[in-house]
Amino acid sequence: MTATRARTPQAAPARRIPGGPRLAWLHLRSRSVPVGVLALALCGGVLHAALRFNWTFNSGRYAQLLPMIIAAGAAALIAMTAHSPFGEAERSTGRWLPYLRLGIAAGMTAAAVGLLQLGVVGMSLNEGVLVLARNVIGFTGLGLLCSLVTGGLLAWTLPLGYMAFCQYALLASWTSPWTWPGRPPADRGAWICACAVFAAGLLLFTVRGPRTRLSDDG
Amino acid sequence: MSALSLHASRPTLPGAARALRLELKRNAVPMLLPLLAAVFYFETVRTADGFPPVWTLRASVIGNHMLFEFSAFAGGLAAWAGSREGRRKTLDLVATTPRAAWVRLSVTLAGTLCWLLFAFLAAVATVYVQTALQATWGGPPLWPVLVGAACVTVVAVIGFTAGVLLPGRFTAPLVAIGTLLLYEVGLRAQLGMSPASGTYAVLSPGGQPPMLDAGVYYRVPPDVSIVQVMLMGGIALALLGVLGLAAGIRYGGLRVALRALAGRGDDVRLRLTAAVLIGCGIAASGTAVALAGTAQPDAAGGWMIPALHSAASDRPIPVDRDCTSAAAGAGARPAFQVCVSQAFSFYLHPVASALTPVAAEIAGLPGAPAGAREIASVTGGQVVMSGITGTPPVFDFTADHVGSVFGEFYGLGLGETVQAWGQVFQQGMLDAFLAGSPPHAGGPAVVPPQFLNGPTPLGAAQQAVENALLAPFGWQPAIAGQAAGQWHGPALTGILAAARRFGALPASARHAWLAAHLSALRAGTITLAQIP
Repeated sequence: MTATRARTPQAAPARRIPGGPRLAWLHLRSRSVPVGVLALALCGGVLHAALRFNWTFNSGRYAQLLPMIIAAGAAALIAMTAHSPFGEAERSTGRWLPYLRLGIAAGMTAAAVGLLQLGVVGMSLNEGVLVLARNVIGFTGLGLLCSLVTGGLLAWTLPLGYMAFCQYALLASWTSPWTWPGRPPADRGAWICACAVFAAGLLLFTVRGPRTRLSDDG
Repeated sequence: MSALSLHASRPTLPGAARALRLELKRNAVPMLLPLLAAVFYFETVRTADGFPPVWTLRASVIGNHMLFEFSAFAGGLAAWAGSREGRRKTLDLVATTPRAAWVRLSVTLAGTLCWLLFAFLAAVATVYVQTALQATWGGPPLWPVLVGAACVTVVAVIGFTAGVLLPGRFTAPLVAIGTLLLYEVGLRAQLGMSPASGTYAVLSPGGQPPMLDAGVYYRVPPDVSIVQVMLMGGIALALLGVLGLAAGIRYGGLRVALRALAGRGDDVRLRLTAAVLIGCGIAASGTAVALAGTAQPDAAGGWMIPALHSAASDRPIPVDRDCTSAAAGAGARPAFQVCVSQAFSFYLHPVASALTPVAAEIAGLPGAPAGAREIASVTGGQVVMSGITGTPPVFDFTADHVGSVFGEFYGLGLGETVQAWGQVFQQGMLDAFLAGSPPHAGGPAVVPPQFLNGPTPLGAAQQAVENALLAPFGWQPAIAGQAAGQWHGPALTGILAAARRFGALPASARHAWLAAHLSALRAGTITLAQIP
C-alpha cells in the first residue's frame, strides 16, 4: 500500500452479517453441509429414477430393498457432516457448539426426509413414504452414534452395515421391532425403536460431539 | 553392539515391500473388520445355513449375499484410502518424493486390497469349511470364489480411483451407496432376464439361487463366470491405467493428462504403460459385454455363452445313488426301495420313512410304485415334474419338485414339522398313483418352464380316496395343498364324508375295493356316492 493510498479516506465498511447467522453459516460450511444437501438431493433423484425406470421390484419384499439402501445412504451422508476439520481446538471456542451440532443433525435429517419424499412424488413406493421417513430417522441415529466411536469420516459404515443385515432380516421375515427397516408402516414397535435410536444418537452427538482426531485414521 | 553390526543384523526390505508393510499397518480396513464380520455372519452364514449342504447351492451365497456387503465396504474403504492425500491436503508434500505417483498410489491400493481379499477369502473359507463338514458329495466350486474376488477387486479399484480423483468426505459413502445400488439393479435385471429381453444381466454377480441339484446331475459350465471375471478384470485394468494418469488429472484435468500422455518426458514409459492398460481393459470389458449378449439357456437350467461353451458340460454326470429298502407290504411282496443321489443322502431316511408306509397301503395294486428315486430337476433345459414311470413302476421325484410343491429339498419350512414335510412326498406319490395316466406315462413329465403348474388336480373321488389313504399317517381331514382352493362348500363336505367312510373300512377291504375299481377311479367315472 502506498502512502497516497493510505491517506485516502477508507470506504465505508461493507454491511456485516450479524454474528449468530454468520457463525451458523461458517459452521455449516466447515461441515460441508451445502454439498451434503446436494448429495441428499441426488439420493432423491436416484430414488425417483429407480421408481420411474423400474430398477426395483414393484411389490413384495424385494421392492423394499432399493429404497432401504437409499435411506441408509442418506443417513450415511448426514453422519459424514459430523466431521469437524478443526478437531479438538474447536471445542474450546464457545458454548454454542452443541446447539450447532443439534441444529445440523436435526436439520439435515429433516432435509433428507423431505428430499426423499420429493423424489417419490407421483410414484408408487412400496410400503409408502412413512417407512422411508422412519428408515432415514433410524439409520441417521445409528450414523450419529457411530460418529462418537469412529469419528465423522467413518460414520457411514454402521448405517450401511446395519442396512445389509436388515435386508437379510426382511427377506427372512424377521418380526423383531429392532429390525425396523423391514417392518410395515403400522408396526408401532418398529417406530419406537427407530425413534429411540435417533433420539439417543442425537442426544449423545449433541452433548459429546463426534470423536475427533487430528490425524484421521487411514 | 556397534552401529555397523546393528545395521547389518537387521535385514532391510525392498522399498516397495516396506511401503506395503507400512500401508498394511495403517490401513482402515482392519478397524472395520468386526463390523464386516457381524454383517457377514447374519447375512451370509445364516443364509447358507438355511440351504442343504450341496456345494453349488451353498457357493451361490458368495455372489448373492456375500458380495452385497463386501462390495459396499470394499468400495467405500478403498475410496477412503484413495482420498487420503487429497483429504489431508498433502498432495504438494508427497509430490516431491522420489517415487512416481502411480507407484505411491499402487502401494496404498495394494495394502487396501490385501486386507479386503484376506477378509473375503476368510469368509469364503468359513462357508466352505462348514459345507465340507456337512456335505455328502462333491467338492468346493472355485469359479464363484474367483468371481467374488474379481468383484471385490474391481469395486475396490473403482472406489480407490474415485477417492484419488474426487477426494472429499462424501466420496466414500457415495461410492458404497453407488455399489449397492448397482448390485440391486443388476439383481433385478437378472431375476427378470430372458433371451427375448436381452441377456446382458448375466454380467451381474448377484441373481437367484441355482436349482437345488445344480452341479449334481450336470456340471455347472464356467462360461458366465469367465465373462464376469473378464468384465471386472477389464474395468480394474483400465482404472489402474487411469491411476497412472491420476497425477495429471488431479492437477490439470483430463485434457492436461491426455496432453501429457502424448508428450515426452522422463516418465514416458510409465505413461505408455498406463495407456496400454487402459486399452487392454477396455478391450477385455467390451469383449465380455459382447459375449454376454450372446448368452443362451443351457441344458441344466443355467446360462451358457456359445463362444466359450464346452459340449462336455451338457452331458449328464454319472450319478451314484444311496438307496434304502424296506418291506412295502405284508407277505412276500418285494421291498420298496428309495434312492436319492449321494449329494442328498442326508434326506434318504426321512423320505424313505415317509414313503414306505404309503407304498405298503397300495402295494400290489396295478401301477403301484415298487420304489422311488430322485432324478434331475432339469433335463435338456426343461423342468421335470414328479410322476410314476417305467416297468416296474417307480415314483420319480426331483429335489425341486414333488407333486405340486416346489423346493422340498430346501428342508423344513418355518414352523414345519418333519411329519408335515414327509406328507408332501406321500401326497405327491398318491397324486401320481391315483391320477393314473398322468402326463408322465412314458417317462418323467417334462414341461416347459412356462407351464410349471404342477400335476393335474385330482377329481373329487380320487381326492377322497387319497385323504382316506393318508389319514393313518397324520393327514389332516381337510384337503391340503393345491386342492384346497379347488373344492369348497357341498363338494368339499362330500369329499370329507366319503374319505371318512372309506377310511373307516379295514385295510384289506380298502385294498380289495381299490383293486376292483382302480381303473374306473383313475378314469374319473367313480362318484363320491360309489365310494364305500
